[in-house]
Amino acid sequence: MSPEPERPPRPARVSRRGFIGRTTAASLGAGALPRPDQATAAAAAAAAAGAPGQPLPGPPGTEVTLRVNGAEHRVGVDNRATLLDTLRERLRITGPKKGCDRGQCGACTVHIDGRTALSCLTLAVAAHEREVTTVEGLADGDVPHPVQRAFIKADAFQCGFCTPGQIMSAVALVEHGPVGSDDAIREFMSGNLCRCAAYPHIVRAVRQAGSTGRKR
Amino acid sequence: MAEPVVGRPHNRVDGPLKVSGRAAYGADHSYPRLVHGYAVTSTIAHGVIRAMDTSTAERSPGVIAVYTPFNAFTIHPVEGLRAPLQDTAVAHHGQIVALVVAESFEQARAAAFTVEVDYDERRPAVSLAEEEGNARPIPPVMGIPPVVTRLADGVPSITAALADSHITVSAAYTTAPQAHAAMEPYSAVVTWDDGRFTVHNGTQGVGLQVQTLAQALGVTTDDIHAVNPFVGGSFGGKYRPNAEVQLAAAAARALRRPVKVVLTREQSFTGTVIRSGTRQRVSLGAAADGTLTALSHRALAGAVADRESAELSAQRTSLAWYAVPNLEVRQTSVPLNTPDPTIMRAPGEASGSFALESAMDELAVALRMDPVRLRIKNNATVHPYSGLPFSGKHLVECYRLGAERFGWRRRGTRPRSRLDGEWYTGMGMATSVYPGFRNPATVKVGLRADGTALVSCDTADLGTGMWTVLPVVAAHSLGLPVRRVEPRLGDSELSPAGSVGGSCGVVTVGPAIMAAAHNAVAALLSLAVGEPSSPFHGLDPADLRYDSGRVSGPGRSMDFDDLLEAMGRSGVEALGTAAPGDESERYVFDSFGAQFVEVRVNRWTGEIRVSRALGVMDAGRIVNPKTARSQIVGGMIWGISAALHEGLHLDASGHLVNADLANYLIPVNADVPEVDVHFLDHPDTRFNPLGSRGIGELGIVGTAAAVANAVHNATGIRLRELPMTLEHVLAGLD
Ligand code: FES
Ligand code: FES
Repeated sequence: MSPEPERPPRPARVSRRGFIGRTTAASLGAGALPRPDQATAAAAAAAAAGAPGQPLPGPPGTEVTLRVNGAEHRVGVDNRATLLDTLRERLRITGPKKGCDRGQCGACTVHIDGRTALSCLTLAVAAHEREVTTVEGLADGDVPHPVQRAFIKADAFQCGFCTPGQIMSAVALVEHGPVGSDDAIREFMSGNLCRCAAYPHIVRAVRQAGSTGRKR
Repeated sequence: MAEPVVGRPHNRVDGPLKVSGRAAYGADHSYPRLVHGYAVTSTIAHGVIRAMDTSTAERSPGVIAVYTPFNAFTIHPVEGLRAPLQDTAVAHHGQIVALVVAESFEQARAAAFTVEVDYDERRPAVSLAEEEGNARPIPPVMGIPPVVTRLADGVPSITAALADSHITVSAAYTTAPQAHAAMEPYSAVVTWDDGRFTVHNGTQGVGLQVQTLAQALGVTTDDIHAVNPFVGGSFGGKYRPNAEVQLAAAAARALRRPVKVVLTREQSFTGTVIRSGTRQRVSLGAAADGTLTALSHRALAGAVADRESAELSAQRTSLAWYAVPNLEVRQTSVPLNTPDPTIMRAPGEASGSFALESAMDELAVALRMDPVRLRIKNNATVHPYSGLPFSGKHLVECYRLGAERFGWRRRGTRPRSRLDGEWYTGMGMATSVYPGFRNPATVKVGLRADGTALVSCDTADLGTGMWTVLPVVAAHSLGLPVRRVEPRLGDSELSPAGSVGGSCGVVTVGPAIMAAAHNAVAALLSLAVGEPSSPFHGLDPADLRYDSGRVSGPGRSMDFDDLLEAMGRSGVEALGTAAPGDESERYVFDSFGAQFVEVRVNRWTGEIRVSRALGVMDAGRIVNPKTARSQIVGGMIWGISAALHEGLHLDASGHLVNADLANYLIPVNADVPEVDVHFLDHPDTRFNPLGSRGIGELGIVGTAAAVANAVHNATGIRLRELPMTLEHVLAGLD
């Protein structure tokens, strides 16, 4: 459940300045620092924040509105929560995958306002009131997106774990085009790692979806 | 019979789920009251934990428990597995030393960073080169001793055999330690309800997972239900339940709440398992016509404490590949302070083939002989170690066909004789061999009154295509279209089919599907004659025939669904078991292939690009060429990756310095050329009734050597260390 102890009233809009102020405070307070070598400093800061034996105060939370695949979700989030974790753990939209949580693999790729974004590098509060599309939202009812069909036809995956991210990148390329040469496809798709190494088949799928037209 | 479905290309039946985000992998599961565990990992590579301060973590918001070696639940040791948090010893950098459990992921993570650990640090053993002096022979593996010497009559030693050879080449080769780096990080979701665990955690076999966890948790196998129909890649890394699932299960029981533990990418690199690096020496002696007269292969790999090693580079190649009268293989290991070395795609063959097949190329160069001809000349017609014949070996056909398809005759015979702009181009080739074995399996096949069939067992699909193999083989056996067969797998309550690994999946499960389909039809026919409401009631079962979904008897014929309906039955089902017999006493079941690679090497920067690759594979009957092709393509790209990209780097303190996906290089799309695969079609029914052999690992074997050999052909530079890096090319270019 939502962890925030003090839930501010729903903001009309998350202001960048207000958000930064709050997360900085959160970082100091709870030590949400990614590097182990900073743990000591974080611990000291955390210890200073509360009397010994007393529970430490939590970071502030924010209530955000997320529009995902056309549905609106109002959800109170920990300011440190990424869009990826919020989709997966709070909204149970698990198409976007966590391959690295660091912007290194592309498995978490979604569209925000029609552009590709790494949901692991996007805080949930930064997606407030924006249109988020995940792989679950590509099909038109029962009709899969041409890129989804092309991935199946070209066998453009094996384990399928990278596939939601690959497909979101491929859809962006096919819909905003032009798809270009095979080398251009390889280049565009190189932000999405595939350890099963379905790469040649991914190129084929994108090429094919690109040539059958952008519209579903 | 309907048209055969085995051997034709089929789309993955799990494809629609995978392209729409509906395939639920381990960490995609959630439960009410679920809590999140976040691991704390060691910052030293060797030593003992003296003390830990968890006080800040414990009073951090949302934190429910902090488990350390000083207060953790009991996890019983299981042979070959490290039981997490059971003692204060630190054996490698990045080992899990605590688990923080909190209401949310963010809270667990924040609290985990406040845990402080005091260590007594010891000097770690991290470098194979530096520890070479401590190398010892490995324990025997499957009856094969660590040192095998086979000498022709009157030859006193392998050294003498080499010395007496017309020509010899001898060189040292090294391969880097590697990470499996499946895109799905190591993760687990475990619930504990009324004494029963439900486990979601990517695995190569739910059966082994349940057995191992039962031991670790001190419960019976009936107390664990593993449900893992989708696995986000494994490659050997998820063969056994690693720390994350043991911890999630133990914490779920202790807290009586569902627990999710997802290792970070960095922790997935450091906190689990790796492929050991190797140091090898191969010496070859040959007559003037290229006939091998002596082969010596020594290999050293990292090991866990008991010196068992998974990366048996010499044993798994040189004992099996070429006909040679004098042969010596020596396999040693040394324990290192690295994440535990384990099996990884073609363990032994991947690294061993780099050394052996590079050496063969060096011999070809020394002899001024075509590398394809050299290999054909030394083709083994019986297995060199066991002396048994191969069940089916068409390796020479692979070489010949590959050379023709690849345009091998356009290869320059002198280095730097082909220049395209600022790129030297060259071609290289190598042999692939991977041994075949199969396990017993039991499969259930059902025929249902709605006209569909069901095929199920507890096997796993790691991306291998097993989801599709099940209905394809069942449909083939039942004479039905594939779409009318529903598969189920990856659930420990299904019939046991063993783990997948060592490329044994299809050959293990396929024959059992055939047996189960046969039994299901027999059950249908016996019902048909026994049920009073059946139109065939009272007939002799021998008068009935089943063909392509229809049951025919004297004077009448009907679809099985109509028959079931007439009898008022919702369906009929049967188990079928298939197991290897004594055929392995008569044959060796290796799969074979020939790898061809073209490279471009920039004459100024030394950059190596693979521009084309072809694999011609002799792997028996291919059940589904579409997914089989993907597996071989993937394996070949793994080989290219080993050649040019991959390697774990440990600094002198044992710290893994590139334990993330930005710094541990695996190929991206732009690194990968067109990869062509061709399968020979020689069904191998000596191995199993389906006629298939394994393909999961075959594609990686030999590929790295083919790249190195192509680089030599292009530039004259011989690179004997993987991955091959620019500085070594540059050093040779001027
Ligand atoms: S999980 Fe976002 S890029 Fe890897
Ligand atoms: S399909 Fe397995 S990682 Fe891409």
